[in-house]
Amino acid sequence: MNKAVINSIFLPLFFLLVVFPVIALVINLDVQGIQATMADAFFWISVRNTVIAAALAALLGLVVAIGFSYYYLFYQDSIIYRIANLFNDLPIALPHTVAGLALLLAFGRKTCGFLGETGAAFTLLAVVLAMFFVSYSLAARTLVSGVDQMEKEVVDVARTLGDNTAQAYFRVVLPMMGEAIFSGFILGFSRSVSEFAAVIMFGGNLPGSTQVLASYVFTKVEVGDLDMAVTAAVFCVLLSLVIVSVLSFRRVRHA
Amino acid sequence: MLKVQGISKSYNRERVLENVSLEVSPEIKALIGLNGSGKSTLLKIIAGIVPLDQGKVWLGDEEVTRQPPEKRNVGYVPQNPALFQHLTVDENIRYGLRNGRGTENVVQEMVELMDLKEVLHKKPSELSGGYKSRTCLARALVPRPRVMLLDEPLNGMDAALKEKMLPEFRKVLKASGIPVLFVTHDVREAELVADSFAVIHDGQVHAVGGAEEAFHKMCTGSLGGE
Repeated sequence: MNKAVINSIFLPLFFLLVVFPVIALVINLDVQGIQATMADAFFWISVRNTVIAAALAALLGLVVAIGFSYYYLFYQDSIIYRIANLFNDLPIALPHTVAGLALLLAFGRKTCGFLGETGAAFTLLAVVLAMFFVSYSLAARTLVSGVDQMEKEVVDVARTLGDNTAQAYFRVVLPMMGEAIFSGFILGFSRSVSEFAAVIMFGGNLPGSTQVLASYVFTKVEVGDLDMAVTAAVFCVLLSLVIVSVLSFRRVRHA
Repeated sequence: MLKVQGISKSYNRERVLENVSLEVSPEIKALIGLNGSGKSTLLKIIAGIVPLDQGKVWLGDEEVTRQPPEKRNVGYVPQNPALFQHLTVDENIRYGLRNGRGTENVVQEMVELMDLKEVLHKKPSELSGGYKSRTCLARALVPRPRVMLLDEPLNGMDAALKEKMLPEFRKVLKASGIPVLFVTHDVREAELVADSFAVIHDGQVHAVGGAEEAFHKMCTGSLGGE
């Protein structure tokens, strides 16, 4: 086995299965489709919904991930950590339609009727919660990885200087994990932007209300408006490229 | 005074410390042992960082065996300086003050003694190895701890710099009047710093008369039953 063999397998597969689909989107762009999409108020609302909901979901994910990595650092033997760790892996294996249904039952009319006729379901809050549910574990894993890379003695020293575990965590550990926190946010944000199934199950797909970019593309394909679907899809690709570029830039800078 | 009695510790059923007893009066005691002999574990047990299986730890008249590290008021200097990278040298040294440990006067005294005035506003990443170690020692001394625990604090430093810094460390530690337990695998290092010596071998601690005897005992392993 040499480099030529690896290249002969890797390069064709990579270009055919990863690069080519993206190129297919771009070459199918059409001026009329671009004009129609740019003039569509529902498109811009879906962009706004996507960015706001994904940012809120990523922030919420970060808050919970910060708590999780605290337990990871200090209380790995605790029952709280073990349960949290088990649930952390759940969104990876769970079909996201199931996640959406679970959220619908948990925060729908029956339990959250006081919020409105449908509870929290089919609101922007539902979109945020659905995005959070599927993206949180990425933030948690990133922070845990940050904890693993940290020099553990700093915690020991902080504690001998009078910090309890929470003080050491917030005064020393978190400030030294800026890179992991930023990466956790960006990964959570990008995963949230890409979410479709859980969002559509719990948040719905109401144009001008809870529709996000992913569901906008789906709707346009469904009604046969392929030109607009392609434009919105290319916009998604560009948005994703910006997100991953930010992450790569930070990684290179801190390498 | 520091006193530990009957300390035992195992990791995954492998015994690291076996019924260890040790006393450190207001002096600098060097605990010499080969890598993996359990000396760092003993230090962490005294600091409260690692839980023990059996035994007791006293600081002065108080038994602190079950106390968390933040309640013990011990000064801990680990192998790597473990400076808080997001804080300046000044903020590192003053860290104990946040928890009501130490005073402004002691901070100033440490800055003078450790010759840190020029680097106070620098971040740890901008410091040389020598300054990092000084900052770490100053930070541990500011809270006026009941005992100082030094775990090969100049680890990784070249021999010439060690020869220069260890007498400085000794001077500062002696001036503080605090009992010091200094663990090292390097007999020469111990000789430059310590007043008294002990050797840790096969999980047990044995008092020895001097660095030379420690070296001999470590080489021959003739520790048991003497």
